[in-house]
Amino acid sequence: MLWVDKYRPKTLDQVIVHQEIAENLKKLVTEQDCPHLLFYGPSGSGKKTLIMALLRQIFGISAEKVKVENRTWKIDAGSRTIDLELTTLSSTNHVELSPSDAGFQDRYIVHAASAYLTVLVLNEVDKLSREAQHSLRRTMEKYSASCRLILCCNSSSKVTEAIRSRCLNVRINAPKEDQIVKVLEFIGKKEGLQLPPGFAARVADKSNRSLRRAILSFETCRVQQYPFSSNQAIPPMDWEEYVSEICSDMMREQSPKRLFQVRGKLYELLINCIPPEIILKKLLSELLKKLDEELKHEVCHWAAYYEHRMRMGQKAIFHLEAFVAKFMSIYKAFLIETFG
Amino acid sequence: MDMEMDIPLPDELELLEAGSHLFQDSLDPPSPDPYTCSPQLELEQSPPQSPSEDAVLFDEKRSKIDDNAGLEVDDEDWLRPVQDRNSGNEEEVVEVVVVEEEEEEEEKIVSRYVSEIDGDFIPVTAPSGGDRVYAKICRVDTEQGAKKLDFKSQSNGLISEPINVLLQKMEQEAFTKALQASSEDQIGEILPETQVMHEKLWVDKYAPNSFTELLSDEQTNREVLLWFKQWDSCVFGSDIRSTSDDILSALRRHSSITQHPKPSDSTFFSKNKGHAWSRGNFRHSNNLEQENSKPKGFQDKWTKKSRLTGPPEQKILLLCGPPGLGKTTLAHVAAKHCGYRVVEINASDDRSSSTIETKILDVVQMNSVMADSRPKCLVIDEIDGALNDGKGVVEVLLKMVSSERKTDTGKENVTKGEQSGRVSSKKGQKTASLARPVICICNDIYAPALRPLRQVAKVHLFVQPTVSRVVSRLKYICNKEGIKTSSIALSALADYTECDIRSCLNTLQFLNKKRQVLNVLEISSQVVGRKDMSRSVFDIWKEIFQKRKMKQDRKSKGSCGSLSNEFDSLLSLVSNRGDYDVIFDGIYDNILQLHYHDPVMQKTVKCFNSLGVSDVIHQYIMRSQQMPLYAYQPCIALSVHRQVAQIQKPNIEWPRSYQRYRTVLMEKMDKLRSWQNKIPSHISRHLSTKSFVEDSVSPILHIISPPTLRPVAVHLLTEREKNDLAQLVSTMVSYSMTYKNIKPDPLACKQENEAALDASSLSVDPPIHEFINFKGYSSGHYALPLAVKQVLVHEVEKQKILQASRSVHITHGHDKQNMYLAERESAMQSAQINHAAAFSGKSISNEKSMINSGQCVPSGSATSPIMDSSRRDLSNVKLKPSVNQKKPTRSSTSFFDRFRKADSKGSQSTDSAGWKTTTLERDSRPLIFKFNEVR
Repeated sequence: MLWVDKYRPKTLDQVIVHQEIAENLKKLVTEQDCPHLLFYGPSGSGKKTLIMALLRQIFGISAEKVKVENRTWKIDAGSRTIDLELTTLSSTNHVELSPSDAGFQDRYIVHAASAYLTVLVLNEVDKLSREAQHSLRRTMEKYSASCRLILCCNSSSKVTEAIRSRCLNVRINAPKEDQIVKVLEFIGKKEGLQLPPGFAARVADKSNRSLRRAILSFETCRVQQYPFSSNQAIPPMDWEEYVSEICSDMMREQSPKRLFQVRGKLYELLINCIPPEIILKKLLSELLKKLDEELKHEVCHWAAYYEHRMRMGQKAIFHLEAFVAKFMSIYKAFLIETFG
Repeated sequence: MDMEMDIPLPDELELLEAGSHLFQDSLDPPSPDPYTCSPQLELEQSPPQSPSEDAVLFDEKRSKIDDNAGLEVDDEDWLRPVQDRNSGNEEEVVEVVVVEEEEEEEEKIVSRYVSEIDGDFIPVTAPSGGDRVYAKICRVDTEQGAKKLDFKSQSNGLISEPINVLLQKMEQEAFTKALQASSEDQIGEILPETQVMHEKLWVDKYAPNSFTELLSDEQTNREVLLWFKQWDSCVFGSDIRSTSDDILSALRRHSSITQHPKPSDSTFFSKNKGHAWSRGNFRHSNNLEQENSKPKGFQDKWTKKSRLTGPPEQKILLLCGPPGLGKTTLAHVAAKHCGYRVVEINASDDRSSSTIETKILDVVQMNSVMADSRPKCLVIDEIDGALNDGKGVVEVLLKMVSSERKTDTGKENVTKGEQSGRVSSKKGQKTASLARPVICICNDIYAPALRPLRQVAKVHLFVQPTVSRVVSRLKYICNKEGIKTSSIALSALADYTECDIRSCLNTLQFLNKKRQVLNVLEISSQVVGRKDMSRSVFDIWKEIFQKRKMKQDRKSKGSCGSLSNEFDSLLSLVSNRGDYDVIFDGIYDNILQLHYHDPVMQKTVKCFNSLGVSDVIHQYIMRSQQMPLYAYQPCIALSVHRQVAQIQKPNIEWPRSYQRYRTVLMEKMDKLRSWQNKIPSHISRHLSTKSFVEDSVSPILHIISPPTLRPVAVHLLTEREKNDLAQLVSTMVSYSMTYKNIKPDPLACKQENEAALDASSLSVDPPIHEFINFKGYSSGHYALPLAVKQVLVHEVEKQKILQASRSVHITHGHDKQNMYLAERESAMQSAQINHAAAFSGKSISNEKSMINSGQCVPSGSATSPIMDSSRRDLSNVKLKPSVNQKKPTRSSTSFFDRFRKADSKGSQSTDSAGWKTTTLERDSRPLIFKFNEVR
């Protein structure tokens, strides 16, 4: 078992990182009434772990016995019936699913899932369509006596105001670096490892404040070389390496031809299931490392501009590439200006 | 038959032709046809100089005339009157007698002895004397020709006027018609007939009737005609080899004429023809003209000597091009020109597969018993736009062509059968072969339904006729209609309508009615009924990426006007097409291949901004269902055009990248999901497929391939290394990962060294390493040596078995024996491994044998649990190495499968309430089988 799973806190008492939130949740449960909950925060911050721990707090150990099944939903939508298949994860007390997997038919799922009348965990609520969110709102009102919803998402800004106001919003921050270090040291102690000073801090620094990533790369380091040395190389993410390759491509030459090459590489990343927003973010941060001070502001502005467009649009590659083109244009103009 | 024939007099010929025309006209709806009449006139003007040849053509008719009432009954028709005789029709008795007399004149056709006749014959007994003769059955079409006249004679009995009077009337009528035709161009005046037609659309009125009047590309015209001529040998039985040259030379002459069209066109034409006639050696070019006027002429030319060359290689002609260029007209004119009767199947007809098949068979295989016995030619118009996208039609055609191919060897027989006509068809030749020319007409050659047809058909693409050609034709018509126009205005009109002569003519006629004059400056407002020009996507991309060359001339008139003009045309083009998704994909895919001048990439940025805007609009429209907003999409294409349009021709490819991305992404997501489903739920619930590659793949790959693990046997590892190994194995098991043999290529398997092959074939089972295989990127992942991988495979196996047994064990309560067995098994296995390792050292082959032995263990133990390890060792050694090599792949896969099933069953049973029954069942069996069950 990976350390990520091995040392995942099972109960609210074991939580290290978000202790205050855990305390609050525990209080909430002991008072016997729990409102609808909306957990939001960046990935790798521990939302799901907290939800699991909360469920265990409510239902006891039976919440941990879960089974996965592919449920088929027959939905009567006026004139026709729709068959939808979705993976659900359920214990005797709760049902967990991510309705956004159903694509544009997510609202049917949301509607049908309310029939469970138990605790319903919905993942990736921010990816739900507007209609699905509206039907979710109705469910929350209608069944509030018998059903509790626990929603989980990355960004609350994509969840409608109406839903946010019906839930207790729980923001899960990305863990701070010292918190990560604490966790790593805890794991090290449990595993009986000797940590050289500063090593955990380095791992935490590289982890981009994602606890999952920190623990995984910690284990990677352990596997690659055990008696840790304090200046041991922490293996990077492959896709990030690839993005920095793209960046150096962009810095080296600015032309439509080069843009075409970059397009191929961007497609490679997209094909391998890396979300376009993350590519854009990483691209920007890599570029910022190499850029002149005076250009940084402008490039940041345009990155934000194109990310906004990307979220509004459908074909992410158009906007990613538009950003690359814009950057090339800015950079080339800058080069011509300074070096003639 | 072709022996002792007199020279026919020209007026006799004429009489005959007139007769045939009369008959044709009485059957078909009256279609005043100046062209078909004109040859008659020419015949009259220039009588044939070499009659001996023509005698062959007309012998039969002559004989008809000899028979006074034009009666010539052939053998087969003879039978019918005999039957009819019972009804007491006296005239027909006479007929029969006449026939018999005539038959006896011809030696080889009718004989008293069968031996003198070759081919099919029919016995005939004369009603008067009882003489028995044998008559040869010649050809189908002669019979029909005879029958035609026979009909007439019957009808004659009902009409008071005798045939002679009728024929004379007909002759006169034809003569006036011919006069009209000859004088039409000079006078352009209103004869009684044209007065009736005055209300007709000019488009119909001036539709080309002769080959020379066609406006379409000369090359295409000629090739279509040539293709028709290639059918001659099959349809008419004439010799093609001698004709084709003649035709081509004649055609060349025609084209030279049409290149300088004059008002006196047709007189020049006839002169030319007369010249050809007088020379006498253009037999077939004459014939070509004659067939047009006298459909019966060719029938007589079926001589035995004709070579039996088949139809052309490609039996279907596919004409493609935008509307209004004259595809249908060309097909009709050319078919008529070559002596075919056009049967048209149109989009409005029923086009289901079954009805179309019968229809096509009718056309292609049968001959008409009606008067118009010219062979038919099938024209399928708008084959792409029909019901079911024309698929039914195409299927039928393809079937026929392919059946033709199959019976290629029997083709000669088939064609022979065609020639001997009805006899063979009565015998029931069922092959649905294509024996008549078929022309398909479509607008979009790339329509998916036509894809198979394109491969078998001869394809002709229509291009726009030159403006000058269209203008000269328009001028000619204007002259005839008496409109004053300037050629500048006409050329502007032609340019504006993109040489669509139909639209030009409609406009002109409309203006003429309104008493207006065509004005160069207001053409756009004057053109009526402008069609929506829907072009293919490729054309649209080309328009977007390419500047019009006309721009320079227009700029002289005023750049503002030209700009707005261009804007308008492109806007309408794009919006008529719709399909913005594809259009913008195409722009996106091709834009970077263009060679536009862009030093600071500002143009590129603008273009991509435009694309982004179109994407955002598209998404908004889809979400809010506000379709009217689509009206703004074409403008975006225009802005791209303004940025990057070049004079030079762009090289455009169909956009594939986005679709490819979509499909590959779906595949990879599927892989991830199926893997996630395999992982036990308490772990998989924390994995999200969306962020998995982002933050987990690389570390996991690092973790499962530790460089510290030495490729040695397990017992040689230190305690810490053993712990690491155990940790690794548990990780792999919990994530249901293992190493798996990729199926090796069977051919390579034989040739290559098997050890080397195995080395390349072991890879991570859920192929997660593929997620970091970016193109042009080499990851720094440590690749485990093969030996380690094999150890891991084995250990993972063991772990799985242990886990499964343990879970059973735990849920069971205390089945001590089972536990004992499992423990004993594992102990035995490790002993086995140690033994094997010690025995054979570190080499790879030994590792393999070790694996082998490991895999033998469970099966062996199942049969006899108390087996001596040393004995098993012996059995292992006994096995041949080659067998050993192959075994692991097969046994391991089946082994896994069995395990998986059992595992899933086990996990389900732990959850479900009914597990107890299954386990009880298991307990009731002997101990030996239990282990297998567990697995």
